[in-house]
Amino acid sequence: MAVKPIVIYPDPILKQVCPPVQAIDDEIRQLIEDLVDTMHAGPGSVGVAAPQIGVSRRVCVIDVSKNRHGKENNHGLLLMINPEILAKSGGAVMREGCMSVPDYTGDVERATELTLRFTEPDGNVREFEASGFEAVAIQHEMDHLDGFLFLDRIASLKTGLFRRKSYK
Amino acid sequence: MNLCRKPNLAHFAVTIIGKDRTGIVADTSEVLYKLGCNVEDSSCTMLGGEFAMILIVSHEKPFSKKKLEEEFTAKTAGTGLSAFVRTLKDDEVCYQGPEGELCLISVYGSDKPGIVYRVTRELADRGVSIADLNTKLIGKPTEPVYVLVLEAALPQGLSVEDATALLEKLKKELSVEISVRLITPVSL
Repeated sequence: MAVKPIVIYPDPILKQVCPPVQAIDDEIRQLIEDLVDTMHAGPGSVGVAAPQIGVSRRVCVIDVSKNRHGKENNHGLLLMINPEILAKSGGAVMREGCMSVPDYTGDVERATELTLRFTEPDGNVREFEASGFEAVAIQHEMDHLDGFLFLDRIASLKTGLFRRKSYK
Repeated sequence: MNLCRKPNLAHFAVTIIGKDRTGIVADTSEVLYKLGCNVEDSSCTMLGGEFAMILIVSHEKPFSKKKLEEEFTAKTAGTGLSAFVRTLKDDEVCYQGPEGELCLISVYGSDKPGIVYRVTRELADRGVSIADLNTKLIGKPTEPVYVLVLEAALPQGLSVEDATALLEKLKKELSVEISVRLITPVSL
């Protein structure tokens, strides 16, 4: 069990483009384990990206299966190394919160259908399609790998940014 | 960090409204900057042809409301802008909105007096707290359509279905469309 402290903005690591993983070694496997433990420890969290625990690498983990928005439509626990979006379509606005930007939430428009490619910890390259809340979560976590926060995606502070109330 | 908890700060609510022109925000923020005030929260928008600003500003104590008013009076003289300053008490600065399921309520239909009143009265009587409300007149001049969008926190025991049912009779009475949807945030 290695729950890592969440890096909070304005830590500069959150605004960096993370370099890709070249080889899956023990360090990367440990990183993935830490990400999963940290995600499970976060209140209602459905995903964590490596820079959020202070590691600038293109790795993130996602699991929306226990969330009410995602439990009907998900691929379970996703351990994603060097994820790429091959295609996206659709659009929906959802109010997102981020452990790295505590106390606020924002209305963000995301694609609702994704075709995705990533490498799994055993080295397999996997391609699949995600939709709905799982697609939203994937885009949020992948944004972290490119140095974007949900604050970069909101259209209006007046109508788009809100003090956090509760997470369900 | 919660700025409202700093004991050495005086807080003021500043309201400024006037016919729109370039530079209202710059003029206002210049006054505040030169006085050493911080803008802690603000919302500025166009309402019709009026530019409206609401700001929560702070300054290290001691600092008087009179000083702020004098500077705004000097700056806005002859510009047609109106400025109003109110001193905030500690409990107003630290105010936290009500908890509860958040929902977005959209109301739209042919323009007629009373849409805002009837909808908000219905909600208020059931303890629904409104956090944000915007209205706009759209459509053609010959067929104006009134649009009201509000964000509200539902009290314990009142579901989205209850809120929908609550507003159902107003739909017929006012001949408007009303929809209620949950917008409870997701943690990512």
